[in-house]
Amino acid sequence: MLRFYFEVAGTAFRRQIVYRWANLAGLCTNIFFALIVSYIIIALYAVRPVVAGYDVHDTLRYTWMMQAILMVVLPFGFTDLMQTIRTGDVVTDLSKPCDFYLYWFSREMGKNVYYAIFRGLPTYLAGMVIFKLGVPLTWQSWLAFGLIPPFGATLGIAYRFLYNIVAFWIIEARAVVSFALTIAQFLTGSFIPLPLLPGWLQTIVNWLPFRGFMDLPVQVFLGKISGSLLWGAFGLQVGWLIILTCLVLWLVQVARQHVVVQGG
Amino acid sequence: MWRNLWEDLQLYQHLLVIQIKAQLQYKANLSLDIISYLGITGLEFVALLLYFVPFRTLLGWHVGEVAMLAAVMSLSFGLSELIGAGIDNFSVLINRGEFDRVLLRPVSAFVQVIGNDFRLRRLGRITQGMLAFALALHFLPALHWTFFKLLVLGIGIISGTIIFLSIVLLGATLCFWTVETTEITNILTYGSREMLSYPLTIYHQVLQRFFLFIVPVAFASYVPVCYVLERPLPFGLPAELALASPIVALLFALVSGWIWTFGVRHYQSTGS
Repeated sequence: MLRFYFEVAGTAFRRQIVYRWANLAGLCTNIFFALIVSYIIIALYAVRPVVAGYDVHDTLRYTWMMQAILMVVLPFGFTDLMQTIRTGDVVTDLSKPCDFYLYWFSREMGKNVYYAIFRGLPTYLAGMVIFKLGVPLTWQSWLAFGLIPPFGATLGIAYRFLYNIVAFWIIEARAVVSFALTIAQFLTGSFIPLPLLPGWLQTIVNWLPFRGFMDLPVQVFLGKISGSLLWGAFGLQVGWLIILTCLVLWLVQVARQHVVVQGG
Repeated sequence: MWRNLWEDLQLYQHLLVIQIKAQLQYKANLSLDIISYLGITGLEFVALLLYFVPFRTLLGWHVGEVAMLAAVMSLSFGLSELIGAGIDNFSVLINRGEFDRVLLRPVSAFVQVIGNDFRLRRLGRITQGMLAFALALHFLPALHWTFFKLLVLGIGIISGTIIFLSIVLLGATLCFWTVETTEITNILTYGSREMLSYPLTIYHQVLQRFFLFIVPVAFASYVPVCYVLERPLPFGLPAELALASPIVALLFALVSGWIWTFGVRHYQSTGS
């Protein structure tokens, strides 16, 4: 059965490879946005050298790293699942002899791997060339980075699934999708780096699941969080992952039993 | 020509009225949509404000001044979204070969395209723009207002709307050849909106020139706002240039309109 899920992921990966030009255009967009934010940050840092332990170089790295993993963790316009619910095609997926969530999970993971390689890597490389970002040299940083972003991506998939599955109950759920994405982007530090937020807001944000999406992986990569602080934050996010996954599984169960599927 | 224009406007109005009536049928849904759109655009603006908690100024620009820039951007972008959302969906029209049908009708193709997807929920961003503007005024109590400044700002916002509409039209024209919408258009619309919500001078020279002289979005936002705030313009440009924003916008619109007509003439339908 495990092989089946790997196969699903592989197919999703290969399907993505076909869209070379779309990926190139998307890459340009990612780089452009990171560039704009970089200029804003450089200009802002003219008045003070360090904020909350982040100098201008750190914040630039943070920004480029964010842009690099954005498409992995919070891809725009993921409504694939929602579409199948709207058209009724979801029935075929539900009746496949595999777990409904794991099926979608594998598909999304396949896509994630694609985006990490063909979108994230070139984005960060562009930043490295333009702003001489460099990479951290400690092995701990790399080890942690190897573990925590896949975790963020897993959280991201559970979240994606959640805001799509509402389509079982709300037919016109596009507003929900854009709202869910914006909130998540804001609270994971995609609009403004979380370390720059005022203290009280950071305290709230640190307790929410969104931090684990991107902020935590990026902070780990930068080596800004380590030791017991890291383990605390990571443990909390593991808790959130369990909660979100259970919620997803429960909602699938409810949908399976009570929802009348749309036709045609 | 004027009669044609008049007929086009009547058709456009007719298309809008139908869609507004349809959307008003679902009042609860509509207000929810507008509010969530206001929330989304509001969060982006909140992020901009939050930058000014750790940093007092942005190269001499205070939070109120930057808020005014962002407000002008939101308003012109919001208006262009409200009016021209139909162009955004152009790739669908091309993809399904429905543009053939559009061309068969004895009325302007442009009006049919632009008028086919009018969404009242776009009022959300315009509301956000107005709130941002009110906040900017609150942060800038000492700002001296004259009738002329108001005029320049108003004309600037309208020029900005025209420029954004021309950009999406250019993006749509590209679909004649590429069939799919390319994300490159997003750089010019969403990207320039984000970029010019902050003072132009913080960016690289190339970017500054590009958005002043080639895709003149800055002409309709940065230049008028500088006039209102009595700030000098980059490259030693005279402040009076603020009055030229409608001319620049119309020129840009003419060029993109010409390219669009060229595209329509060379349109080859797609199968399936």
